[in-house]
Amino acid sequence: MEMLALNHVKKRFGEKQVLLDVSFCVPEHTVFGFVGQNGAGKTTSMKLILGLLACDGGEITVGGEPVRYGNTRTNRLIGYLPDVPEFYPYMTPAEYLTFCGEINGMASGEIKHRTSELLSLVGLEGERRRIRGFSRGMKQRLGIAQALFNRPKLLICDEPTSALDPAGRKELLDILTAAREQTTVLFSTHILSDVEHICDEMAFLHEGKIALQGSLEEIRRIREEAAMELELERPEDCKELKAAFPFLKPLGSNGLLLEKSEALPEVLRFLADRRLSLRRMERREMSLEELFMEVIGK
Amino acid sequence: MKAFLKKEWMETIRTGRGFLLLLIFGLFGIMNPAIARLTPWMMKVMSESLRDAGFVMTAVEVNAMTSWSQFYKNIPLALIIFVLLVSGSFTGEYQKGTLIPVVTRGLSRRKIVAAKALMIMGLWTAGYFLSFGITFAYNEYFWGNGIASHLLFGAVCFWLFGLWVLGILLFLSTAARTGTQVLFGTGAAALGIYVLGMLPAPGRWLPARLMDGMSLLQGHTVPADYFKNVIIACAMTALFLLFSVLCFDRKRL
Repeated sequence: MEMLALNHVKKRFGEKQVLLDVSFCVPEHTVFGFVGQNGAGKTTSMKLILGLLACDGGEITVGGEPVRYGNTRTNRLIGYLPDVPEFYPYMTPAEYLTFCGEINGMASGEIKHRTSELLSLVGLEGERRRIRGFSRGMKQRLGIAQALFNRPKLLICDEPTSALDPAGRKELLDILTAAREQTTVLFSTHILSDVEHICDEMAFLHEGKIALQGSLEEIRRIREEAAMELELERPEDCKELKAAFPFLKPLGSNGLLLEKSEALPEVLRFLADRRLSLRRMERREMSLEELFMEVIGK
Repeated sequence: MKAFLKKEWMETIRTGRGFLLLLIFGLFGIMNPAIARLTPWMMKVMSESLRDAGFVMTAVEVNAMTSWSQFYKNIPLALIIFVLLVSGSFTGEYQKGTLIPVVTRGLSRRKIVAAKALMIMGLWTAGYFLSFGITFAYNEYFWGNGIASHLLFGAVCFWLFGLWVLGILLFLSTAARTGTQVLFGTGAAALGIYVLGMLPAPGRWLPARLMDGMSLLQGHTVPADYFKNVIIACAMTALFLLFSVLCFDRKRL
């Protein structure tokens, strides 16, 4: 079942059309990576899902219920970790989590139990200081605790690791991976190694549209099937082949990259006819970063 | 709403705003009888220094009315300070983004407005009547309050005027983005109504008249003269609160 679905969502701020036509679905119990450059519209999309902004077109559903701007009922199913979580500085972490539980209408015994469970999960147990004195990393950890407090069906995290040190990042990614058992995670980022680390599925947001979507394996397969690396014995052979097939991209001194797999038989025939010797030919393994650069056209 | 109200109370106490309000309203309460008590002594000192210049000052008689007159001169200043202290109640949260996790937890925006309105108006009520109570007690002790007529009704009138100002402040807080916009808006609206209230015809209707408690105390007016103003102030405050709710429902956080 789909936990979240965006259908032809559009959003404009004044003259700027931030989202042209965004459609994607997040299946239940997956960690879904939402990837895009800074300013691509990831935070805008998340705010639309949370009903904090109004859509100019299209529809969003959470757990099958439509999202409405303002007082959306779907927020009771969601836990949200903003990119820069802000809390009431005069509260202690335990007081803040108790406040969250009370807002969610939980019983006081359950609030107490959940507070101690989550503070221990994020490594803030026994922290008596007020939030005023917390570092960014500590706030991020408290942010994840408050987002998980009501056992949400959908956990939305906006760039949760961007400001953390490597140790803090690993801890947070481990928490999100563990959360998959109970919830569905939508996780926006521009750090592709994080996506490779924990995501089951992903979508690339580029120029207001989803440029690519699927499971990590599917996306890699699509690209790998299309890309072959050819290495010839001599540079002059390489030049001759390039002259005959201008769409081949240079790759080092003797290498060429073939992105159109359908042209492979023709290329091989040409090599045989001209007696050009091929040293190596292999399917290209693309990193997510290369894939990202290709999607954004750089 | 109870949880958000509890948070508002914690904020009032832990940020020191509660203590500051207690101090201000307490001081304003003490100041009125203190000025009245000190007036004869101040006049004596002044008359001695002015005698050489040829001015002759006669002895002044002070009573509870002198103190109440001070109360009605000073309490608008206390209201201004109160408005300054609570003007960032919403806008501070917009700027820091602290309301986002609250709204995305599913707490209704209406409950947020209701809790904030209840806290702000409750603090005004507590502070105002603390000030009134202190002045009343001292006046009773020194001179007796029997000289002043319709004392409680006069006090309720200014309290209602305060609620009307806070109604504007709450509405502007849900519409504006910064505390400065809220302050200027509230100031402009209150000043506008005050100036209009000086004209005889609109003055009979507008809430600005509720500030004039001294006429009641001196017996120049009777409570019935203020009923229109009370009804208008109550209706306008209720409307401002309704607009606040509607505006905050559409507010981009």
